[in-house]
Amino acid sequence: MLCNSAAVCPEQTAAIHLERKITYRELLAATARLGDFLTSLGYPPGSRVAVLFENSIEYIISFFAVFKAGYVAVPIDTSLNPEKICFILADCQAEILLFHTRYERQLGRILAQNPPIKWIISDKPLHLKPNGIATATFHDFLGQPEDYAAARNSIVNLPSDGSLQYDLKKESIAAPHELAAIFYTSGSTGSSKGVMLSHRNLISNTIATVEYLKLSPRDRVMVILPFYYIYGNSLLLTHILAGGTLVIDNRFMYPEVVLDTMEKEKVTGFSGVPSNFMILLNNSTLTARELKDLRYFTQAGGAMAPEVVRRLMNAFPQKEIYIMYGQTEAAPRVSFLPPEHLKEKLGSIGIPVTGVKIRVVDDNGTEVPVGKDGELAVAGDNVMLGYWNQPDEQREVLRNGWLHTGDLARMDEDGYFYIVGRRKEIIKAGGNRVSAKEVEECILENDKVAEATVFGVKDDILVEAIKAVIVLKTGATADQKEIQNFCKTRLADYKVPKYVEFAESLPKYQSGKVNKLLLMGKSS
Amino acid sequence: MAAIDQSAVRRRVREFIGETFLVGNEKDKLNDSDSFMQHGIVDSTGILELATFIESEYSLTIEDNEMVPDNLDSIDNLAGFVARKLG
Repeated sequence: MLCNSAAVCPEQTAAIHLERKITYRELLAATARLGDFLTSLGYPPGSRVAVLFENSIEYIISFFAVFKAGYVAVPIDTSLNPEKICFILADCQAEILLFHTRYERQLGRILAQNPPIKWIISDKPLHLKPNGIATATFHDFLGQPEDYAAARNSIVNLPSDGSLQYDLKKESIAAPHELAAIFYTSGSTGSSKGVMLSHRNLISNTIATVEYLKLSPRDRVMVILPFYYIYGNSLLLTHILAGGTLVIDNRFMYPEVVLDTMEKEKVTGFSGVPSNFMILLNNSTLTARELKDLRYFTQAGGAMAPEVVRRLMNAFPQKEIYIMYGQTEAAPRVSFLPPEHLKEKLGSIGIPVTGVKIRVVDDNGTEVPVGKDGELAVAGDNVMLGYWNQPDEQREVLRNGWLHTGDLARMDEDGYFYIVGRRKEIIKAGGNRVSAKEVEECILENDKVAEATVFGVKDDILVEAIKAVIVLKTGATADQKEIQNFCKTRLADYKVPKYVEFAESLPKYQSGKVNKLLLMGKSS
Repeated sequence: MAAIDQSAVRRRVREFIGETFLVGNEKDKLNDSDSFMQHGIVDSTGILELATFIESEYSLTIEDNEMVPDNLDSIDNLAGFVARKLG
């Protein structure tokens, strides 16, 4: 897909990161050089290469260079502690590490645990001199970052007549089932697993996503989501495929800075998870800005309460808002809600994307009637090859050609799907089954509440009781009784949280998803 | 009104950062001019916690458009910001 875009629009800007830019021609050249170097190391095809980089031009070069060399990319969550990083390196047996020196503080601890690493290729020279490990820098074959353009002369001349343009649908069908990348999940509902995605998984799903978002070379997406997260990876692949521009800004902790970047770079799209939107709506000047170049918002990475979606719709009635659903195991996109139907289908995750089939099934895998709850199951070219080295877990979710997502859902008469909750997030409160999601959405309708998360805790009387942890809006005050009374007016009594706690903030993974496991551990 | 003592602000902020975001002796290694963002000390959720602390500790309000690195991204920047707000 990179070759295709470089052939069609070589001088188009592929990526911007603060003051740095790179065109498709330069990106292809740099990727080819790094890819050739990786190939020269002599590893067999399919060898795993770990990529530990923050979002940057170097990340993009690294990711595509691994494919160029015929290896398998393993993007690493940069917020993990050294022990978890070493677990991943050992699990996937990565002998090559593409490494950003920003994380050099942790490198000693990573290497102290003897991961299988034999090569470290870093953006700049390391201060550490690791024993028994060969090192190289990007500078060795690309020159200074300011001068990656110097590599442009090394590539084959690209014809300007578009004759190299591929038939992408044919490419998708032709794409092999070979392993392309392993994305380790955050383990937010269990232990971390290496999701194996093939070239076909990624290409087919990328094409489907470009199609419904109507992406073109005119599109410029604001990238705040990490590329090592499957949703961030989707931004990368879709915009490279479309010949668009990736506008990278890693400073979302200061949302005003990112909003300024969006205006300055005239971005046409913004993609976020629910917590990103809540920060923007509650703690930034988002709604006071026109953002005249912005065409669309996309939201995935967990259910966003209808109340929050309404606020976004009211603030930007002319912009398209795409609510989307997916899983790492599905590469990731499963469904999207067409913006023109957002109002009447608010709360829905929409309809399947091209090439994907969805069913709601019972415990036996049999499809349930329309309107009935069951587990969401997915089939298509996007469904993963499996979990790396975890055949039991793989057998549990991949059954008879279908991916069992672990999400409870139902379908309406128009073929639109609604998530009821996570199977693992159903709380059995006093014998009644309660969806944590339903309680969270109820609490979020309270004007005083900025964020809320709900989970089950052990209880002597109920066996399991409902607990809510709430972040109030700035200046707001409330107590447990007030929240419980609010819930009582909207929910059945058995769904009202028995315990309500208030916090300054909710712990989150780097992707922005709430770390419920941490809160549950503190509550036990 | 006496001007706020910026050294006192630096000490109090360092204490809060150490208790809330750092482990072991990391607090002692943090320089007043170190960027929280560059050093990965605070994330997008943590910055809200930090802002709430500053508002509560010094009885001031941080507007949305003041949530920027120049005001919040180091102990030095915070001390200067508090002094300007109260000065």
